[in-house]
Amino acid sequence: MRFTIYQESRIGRRKTNQDRIAYCYSRDALLMLIADGMGGHLHGEVAAHLSVQFITQAFQREAQPALLDPALFLSRTLSRAHSAILDYAFDKNLPEAPRTTIVACVVQENCATWAHAGDSRLYLLRQGRVAAQTRDHSRVQLMMDQGLLDAEGAARHPGRNRIYSCLGGSHLPQIEFSRRTPLQDGDLIALCTDGLWGPLGNEGVVLGLLGGNVMSAVPKMMSRAETIAGDGCDNLSMIAMAWHEDAGQPTPAAVSTQTMALDDFNTRMDTFQRGRGSASGAPNIDLSDDEIERTIAEINSTIQKFNRN
Amino acid sequence: MPPQANCALPHGFQLDQYRIERQLSLGGFSIVYLAFDQDGIPVAIKEYLPNSLALRKDGEVEPRVPDENMPAFRYGMKCFFEEGRSLAKLMHPNVVRVLNFFRANNTVYMVMQFERGRTLHDYIQKHKGEVKERFIRAIFTRMLNGLREVHAHKLLHLDIKPSNIYLRNDGTPVLLDFGAARQTLALDQPMLKPMYTPGFASPEQFANREALGPWSDIYSVGASMYACIVGTAPPRSDERVKQDTLQPITRQHASRYSPQLLELVDWCLRLDPLARPQSVYTLQKALMQKEAGEAMPASWFTDLGSRLKSFIGKR
Ligand SMILES: Nc1ncnc2c1ncn2[C@@H]1O[C@H](COP(=O)(O)OP(=O)(O)OP(=O)(O)O)[C@@H](O)[C@H]1O
Ligand SMILES: [Mg+2]
Repeated sequence: MRFTIYQESRIGRRKTNQDRIAYCYSRDALLMLIADGMGGHLHGEVAAHLSVQFITQAFQREAQPALLDPALFLSRTLSRAHSAILDYAFDKNLPEAPRTTIVACVVQENCATWAHAGDSRLYLLRQGRVAAQTRDHSRVQLMMDQGLLDAEGAARHPGRNRIYSCLGGSHLPQIEFSRRTPLQDGDLIALCTDGLWGPLGNEGVVLGLLGGNVMSAVPKMMSRAETIAGDGCDNLSMIAMAWHEDAGQPTPAAVSTQTMALDDFNTRMDTFQRGRGSASGAPNIDLSDDEIERTIAEINSTIQKFNRN
Repeated sequence: MPPQANCALPHGFQLDQYRIERQLSLGGFSIVYLAFDQDGIPVAIKEYLPNSLALRKDGEVEPRVPDENMPAFRYGMKCFFEEGRSLAKLMHPNVVRVLNFFRANNTVYMVMQFERGRTLHDYIQKHKGEVKERFIRAIFTRMLNGLREVHAHKLLHLDIKPSNIYLRNDGTPVLLDFGAARQTLALDQPMLKPMYTPGFASPEQFANREALGPWSDIYSVGASMYACIVGTAPPRSDERVKQDTLQPITRQHASRYSPQLLELVDWCLRLDPLARPQSVYTLQKALMQKEAGEAMPASWFTDLGSRLKSFIGKR
């Protein structure tokens, strides 16, 4: 497999970043996923984190080096991630289970398969046009489907954030699956949260990705979304992947998985942590006062990362 | 044995933002307290206080560390940090949660969520000879969720035993005491002084530390299940290597436990690391295997609510 991939998540103007994003690939399979924890609910961030972690781990167990059946993998793993959240809520005696949106995509054997619940989106762009896109599980989308609302009205609708399917919570998620979709050289797959597509709209996302250089396009697009959203800017995240034919021209930033060992994985899960102060090295027996302070600060910042007050 | 035990901080002592209620335990390496934070929320605080290196006399606050012990004391502090570092990364319902870390009284403190319940060790003592199969399967399956999380972070626990498995009052287990999680799976980490508990530690923990892996924790899990069934720890593995006196429990306890469970315990307790289940996942799958007539509560969380479409407010 050969592809170029870029992911980024920004906090916007919120106090915490409840988005979680990750990609992971073996020699023959690639997983990308985004979860948007629901802020109004208890521990939304935890739900997003648990889901992303759970799905990534399942992928690493099963993609050896390819999944037996990507669609089956997604359906099984997403519903198990849902149970893991309920488990967590049960163990912690939470009055209600936390919630998160999810969109997950697997690419293998030159085909993409994805699944989602909620209003985090996936776009498949081919030659600058939308070839496929997820439908939000939101009230405004249903109203649009019934002709009660147009896109512009939806963007301003006070209930535009209300969704009817997610992982966690007290209802079974309604997970929607794509067909197995063959990819062509130059195809772009982009996953994003509403913090990004909200301010930009479909056109903004498509335009922003035009040109196909995901490495430079994504950060630019995020800055644009932040400017448009202004003071109310939500957390915003995107993973964008450009697909290259194996025999195609070499692309500087592209990843080629050809030479990877069968049991090898590359994983990137962004948890918005600043670099660790001290790298692991030879034991330094003479722990200085400075080092003690630094270590304590570092441990506390790791703790904080998981502790939404 | 240390010549003299360390004295605990007294009831009512204001330690940073916490008020000490009472001592929960005294180990060779640390003291654990029950304390309350500013909001009156109970927490467990672990104080780094190695008996052999530092001494706090009655009525004193700062422990004394003789000059010649200072390097070792600081080194041990590094180990204590490793425990905090490991736990801070782990966010899992079956792993004890760290809330804060601070420095005071010339030593360091780790603040944890206080869990109400008792250790599996206490439970076994109380229910000797009558620990139910269903209980064992339920506790260990869930405890292993936590251990899987530990392994996923390239850490090993290396001190799994009934006294480090805590049972909350609601029956869910939580893994405590990562004091030995100092040995990371990554080989570039410095080797730290091993701490283990005879009977529950794998043979490679005594002699062949390059062979350490998830299977070493799995040995200890097997030994802990063994303790549930038999009431005592299995013979020390370093002795077993010389002369194996362990009787396969498959034969001895067949009346009360299913052969599948007993075989599983024997499997975990194999001396050869490669002959044991190699991953926690394998072990969990085996524990979840349904016996005829013994259904596991796999459906605790199936959705019983109505399927009516409901709209969920997003923020
Ligand atoms: N978070 C907690 N909530 C409630 N009780 C706790 C908690 N942590 C520890 N304890 C109590 O303190 C005892 C000892 O804790 P722990 O096993 O972590 O320390 P230890 O064995 O003294 O450690 P070490 O081996 O590092 O000296 C536990 O068996 C338990 O009874
Ligand atoms: Mg202990």
